Amino acid sequence: MSENLHLGDFTQKVGTSPIPNYYGDALVTLAKNDPKIVALTGDLTPATECDLFRDTFPDRFFNLGIAEANMIGVAAGMARCGDVPFVHSFSVFLTRRAFDQVAMQVAYPRLNVKLAGFLPGLTTLLGVSHQSIDDFALMRSLPNMTIIEPSGPSQMAASLRAAASIDGPVYLRMHRATETISAAKIEHKIELGKGQMLSNGNDAIIFACGHMVAEALGAAKLLKKIGISVAVANMHTLKPFDTDFVVEHATRTGVAISAENHSIIGGLGSAVSEALAERHANTNVKFKRLGIMDTFAEGASTPYLFNKYGLSAKHIFSAVSDLLEIK
Amino acid sequence: MENVHRYNSANEISLKVWAKSIRRNLVRMVARNGQGYIQQGLGAADLFTYLYFSEARMDVNDPTWEERDRIFLSTAHNSALFHATLAERGFLEDAELETYTKDGSKLEINVSERLGALVEATCGSLGQGLSVAVGVAQSAKRQNRHFRSYVVLGDGELQEGQVWEAAMYAASNKLDNICLIVDLNNLQVEGNTQNVMIMDPIDDKFSAFGWEVLSIDGHNFNALGDAFQKARCTFHKPTVILAQTIVGKGVPFLENKMSHNMVLPADVAAQCLSILGSGHE
Repeated sequence: MSENLHLGDFTQKVGTSPIPNYYGDALVTLAKNDPKIVALTGDLTPATECDLFRDTFPDRFFNLGIAEANMIGVAAGMARCGDVPFVHSFSVFLTRRAFDQVAMQVAYPRLNVKLAGFLPGLTTLLGVSHQSIDDFALMRSLPNMTIIEPSGPSQMAASLRAAASIDGPVYLRMHRATETISAAKIEHKIELGKGQMLSNGNDAIIFACGHMVAEALGAAKLLKKIGISVAVANMHTLKPFDTDFVVEHATRTGVAISAENHSIIGGLGSAVSEALAERHANTNVKFKRLGIMDTFAEGASTPYLFNKYGLSAKHIFSAVSDLLEIK
Repeated sequence: MENVHRYNSANEISLKVWAKSIRRNLVRMVARNGQGYIQQGLGAADLFTYLYFSEARMDVNDPTWEERDRIFLSTAHNSALFHATLAERGFLEDAELETYTKDGSKLEINVSERLGALVEATCGSLGQGLSVAVGVAQSAKRQNRHFRSYVVLGDGELQEGQVWEAAMYAASNKLDNICLIVDLNNLQVEGNTQNVMIMDPIDDKFSAFGWEVLSIDGHNFNALGDAFQKARCTFHKPTVILAQTIVGKGVPFLENKMSHNMVLPADVAAQCLSILGSGHE
């Protein structure tokens, strides 16, 4: 009987067939070509897709236990010896819990440490303790830090390779795929530091990242039905931020929305606000931040939380309609 | 490797001369700008002298030598002593010591890697040094390299939980190439450590965490020598040297004066220097 029991890993649903580890597989591929890469986890190996790495490179895999502060310090020491540590945990524990360690031991000395955090924003029923709603804010405020959030499974491997291409600290905000995607959809490269225009439009633009890219595309489709043409841009690199791109397209359309699975304070919305305000490109740009509205949430399914906390396509639809003063 | 200057045979007399010279520079540095931690510096001077002159493998002609032993100063505020030791050892010019804590100087009151080589990590935020030292030890093992990782912690710093996370990991992974030295001077910002937080028995705590524990008098060079030798010959587990030190050591009227950031007026500094000798003995 017991051999039929499913060994849970926090994210795989009961009764579903295994989903490819788009991050974990790419990490192993990368590590085959670079012997300096090592992987560190804090008792969350399968949940951060590191099991294949552990089994492929047992001598390059280190389980630090439930001790994130120490894990960051150990990674820093290993980087100082020329290794390239990829450090894994849930986002909230890498950023909020170990913030001082990341600041002093990784960002300040500009070490080649990659922080791969999982369970971004409101994507987990594990509750408020496990929901990283402020990780962008924390990591953006650190000098020397690069921040990447892929829009979905199609960009996970490319984001990982982009992170590896930099000799310096990177925070990767990762979400595990919930379904298999066709090979044709896999993107082989992301252009680091550049906004990625996904669909064009002239009436408004939605700057989105992570989960909200799909929601933004959904909103654009709904808006098209009522004759409104909305551009959708994927801002996968939160830092360095593509200010020129944001200013150009917000000015062009005159109406801009930011959409992120993160607090409206300190993340994508703040980055867009700062870009628009400092360049005072066009003071007539109408702008609204969508995201978690400065509140803590609770554990529940992702669709429920996205609906409750204003992160769905229909919320973006309403926000664009309001700015365009469509009754 | 003739460029590698080692003082393995450093005798006690030489060590005492170096330690005294370091103490004199320490007094001058702290007095000059009215900044720096004199009591802790005097207390740990013998420890630093032994570590830098007799134990660690390093090369004065190549401070970034990749196979050097790493020494982490987790108590980064013990900076006057650190800088004075580097100068005595030949890694810094004596003239540079005069800039200590002055605006624009690389010699900061909390040692930062702005200074350059031999600052192995920036550790002003207490509790972090051991983790980085453990990471270095882990990579040295993985890469089959033979340098050792030394790290100096204060006893007050043991109140930081991260120290014990790192201690657990080091023992769990049998990192015998790391040597932790705890400067047991019984002093933290608000006075005697035991009044702030009861930490005893520190030796039993480390034993329980799986470390080899050596308790010594931190002013006895022979005891320091024996302890470091034992640490190098201890396999499959990390070693901690609990070095009991006396704050203000070397200047009798300062000894055991439990002051975390004591001011050192010019006349008192002059008195200290006369006790510590002219430097020409």
